[in-house]
Amino acid sequence: MKLSPYLPRLLLTAALFASVSSCSENLDSSGACPILCPPIGGDVQNITIDAVVIDTTVQSLSGLGTEAGLLLANRGDTLDTRVILRFDSLPEKFTPTGDTSRAIATVDSAYILVKLDTLSIVGPGPVTIEAYDVDTTANDTSTAAVLALFRPDRFISSQSFDRTQLTDSLKYFISNSVVLSKIQNRQPLRVGLRATGPSSSQMRFFSTEGGVAPLMFFRATPDTTTKPLTVTPFSKTPVGQSILASNLTDYTVIAKAPPAASATTLSVGGLPARRVYFRFDIPSRIIDSSTVVRATLLLNQIANPALDATDTVRIVPQVVLAGKVVTDPVKASQIIAGISADTLSLHPGDSGLTNVELARAFGLWRTQQADTLPRAIVLKSVTEGITPLELRFSSSEDAVVALRPRLRISYTSKVPLGLP
Amino acid sequence: MRARSIALAAVFASSFVSRGEAQGALSLEGLGYPTGQFSARAEGVGGAAADFDALSLVTPASLAGVGSPALFLQYSPEFRRVTTPSGSAKTTTARFPLVAGVLPMGQDWTLGLSSSTFLDRSLETSLRRQAVVGTPTDTVTLTERNRILGAINDVRLALAWSTNPVFRIGIGGHVFSGSNRINFSQLFPDSSKYISTAQSGRISYAGFAASVGIEIHPSRVIGFALSGRKGGDLRAESGDTAIGSGRIPDHYSASVVFDGIPGVSISARTAHDAWSSLGSLSATSVKAFDGWDTGVGIEASGPRFLSRIVTVRGGARFRTLPFGYNGEKVSETSAAAGLGVPLTRERASFDFSIQRASRSAADIKERGFILSFGLRVSP
Repeated sequence: MKLSPYLPRLLLTAALFASVSSCSENLDSSGACPILCPPIGGDVQNITIDAVVIDTTVQSLSGLGTEAGLLLANRGDTLDTRVILRFDSLPEKFTPTGDTSRAIATVDSAYILVKLDTLSIVGPGPVTIEAYDVDTTANDTSTAAVLALFRPDRFISSQSFDRTQLTDSLKYFISNSVVLSKIQNRQPLRVGLRATGPSSSQMRFFSTEGGVAPLMFFRATPDTTTKPLTVTPFSKTPVGQSILASNLTDYTVIAKAPPAASATTLSVGGLPARRVYFRFDIPSRIIDSSTVVRATLLLNQIANPALDATDTVRIVPQVVLAGKVVTDPVKASQIIAGISADTLSLHPGDSGLTNVELARAFGLWRTQQADTLPRAIVLKSVTEGITPLELRFSSSEDAVVALRPRLRISYTSKVPLGLP
Repeated sequence: MRARSIALAAVFASSFVSRGEAQGALSLEGLGYPTGQFSARAEGVGGAAADFDALSLVTPASLAGVGSPALFLQYSPEFRRVTTPSGSAKTTTARFPLVAGVLPMGQDWTLGLSSSTFLDRSLETSLRRQAVVGTPTDTVTLTERNRILGAINDVRLALAWSTNPVFRIGIGGHVFSGSNRINFSQLFPDSSKYISTAQSGRISYAGFAASVGIEIHPSRVIGFALSGRKGGDLRAESGDTAIGSGRIPDHYSASVVFDGIPGVSISARTAHDAWSSLGSLSATSVKAFDGWDTGVGIEASGPRFLSRIVTVRGGARFRTLPFGYNGEKVSETSAAAGLGVPLTRERASFDFSIQRASRSAADIKERGFILSFGLRVSP
């Protein structure tokens, strides 16, 4: 018998197709679950422990002038903050169009251009911004010395804005004569801004550290066709401390702040900025012998109605990288690293149980012994230093035991992978 | 600030780990699926001709009939469908279950070195289940992914002797080796809140066995074969740690072939495997059953294709798989067909077989198509 010439070809084609299609293996037989593949890993175990051995509020030591925003606030008896701008290097000469360089003899249309975060504006009413000459030979970081200079004999200028004029680019005109005097006397121009008005007001300018520095402009001639000169903030002092001097080119001074929380209360945010340092004692059997799949710091939030109780404050937990030799929580709280991109949004006026997720910190702690890297985290505000809003929580010294911070850990035990 | 005072408000949900004994398919219970160690030719006749087939790895005596040096490689994908009352799954498993080399040494002796898959344990499952993580009301969907790749392989060095077509005898030494790579992960949905876990492990196996076989052809129309393999210890290790031991199953088989019809060969075979000797190699007491493996088949010279005679084959096979499901035996029934084509002036041949395998236990059914492509080359 002789086969049709087409049949073998058909068979070969089918065989080739089958072999090629089987090259991409697909072993997944999940459709047969759960009957043929019951759970392997067992149940997640959940425990809640009083693992906090230290919890304390610490100051953010990032330093004066390091904030990304400049807060100008006039909140009556609650909050009063001022903004300091240093223009220590003023031009003494200018070159008119088509002419040669000459000394500046006049100043016209001097103004400071600040970038305003319009979302930060609080208060519907008009606001008056007063400028004062805050140049002093006192200690550069002495806020008291600077605040003392907001007095009539140091007054430079004043400008009022209604709400509609508060746009993202704010031109604040200052006295031409004061600027000219500083130029001709070779003195630094240090301007202190204060908000006043019949009602509360608050706004935030972007700072040099925030990437958008305030700038001063003026024309050295009445000729309006002449391009204005631009002056960037600069601080010559403190001498020999260039980093600090750079920070002090623009900064916020707190004249009045809400009262601090009680000693048994933990505070996050506020002005001056605060963080909370937590150190835990976690049973090694959990970290070393099991896999933590979730860890939650249980905090009792205490309502803080002092300022904008319904506004949102975003906080983030960060793991402390300071080793055991750094015993001071204040210092340890500055050596931190992020563990999560997610933030927790809270309202200062709220109260009750708050969950702070910490599972990712356990991933790091598992690789380091507790005697090398203490199990510690810091809770800080995302807008640390640029918002007066402050969250408060019960500490481990709270009189009510149930309100103290606790740690809830969910973990799974290792599955003995091996024989079926 | 204050000393630690642990107050366990705590909740120990249920017990520790529960290891599942099932692995996504009936045929993948326990240490895995026994491919049979047959060549594509033998598979085409339901395994009935395996004891007379030099390229199958069941008896060393058959090596003596090969005649010329040969290399053989086989590819056998399986397309499987598992049906349970709650759902079904389709899988594709690619296997290279057999590679063999045969070398005649003089007129009477033949040496063979071959490797075949003894127990294949390649599987992957994903199970979604609810888990309480946090407070009793914090329920999330947890996905458990289990992936195991690997096999126990049988490497055999065999020597066969024959001075005439009437009698052949052979002996073989077997080394069983291989490993299972295991990856297990638990995946949680929200990475900002939960951390998924992953574990990996590797089990390696080592064991020994010896086999002997004889083949008798008292006349040109009939032949008989007997073979046996005596198993030695099989050890399982994870890293440097021994995690279990058992014995390679003893194996005995008997076959008969009838060549009384010109151009036709009818064969039958039955074999017994003492799989229960592997029962101790289980962490969850998966039960292993001794079982019979019986097949009948026919091979006939068929039509011509490109001036070559095509051999066509058909057969049936019934066997008990080594590992049970929930303590119940898993049986497998196969219908097989195949063909063989000589290539390049008899210096090579191509064998193809297709098996339709049905397995069942409890109310679970499993159907599989196993295709085998075998290529033999005589250099």
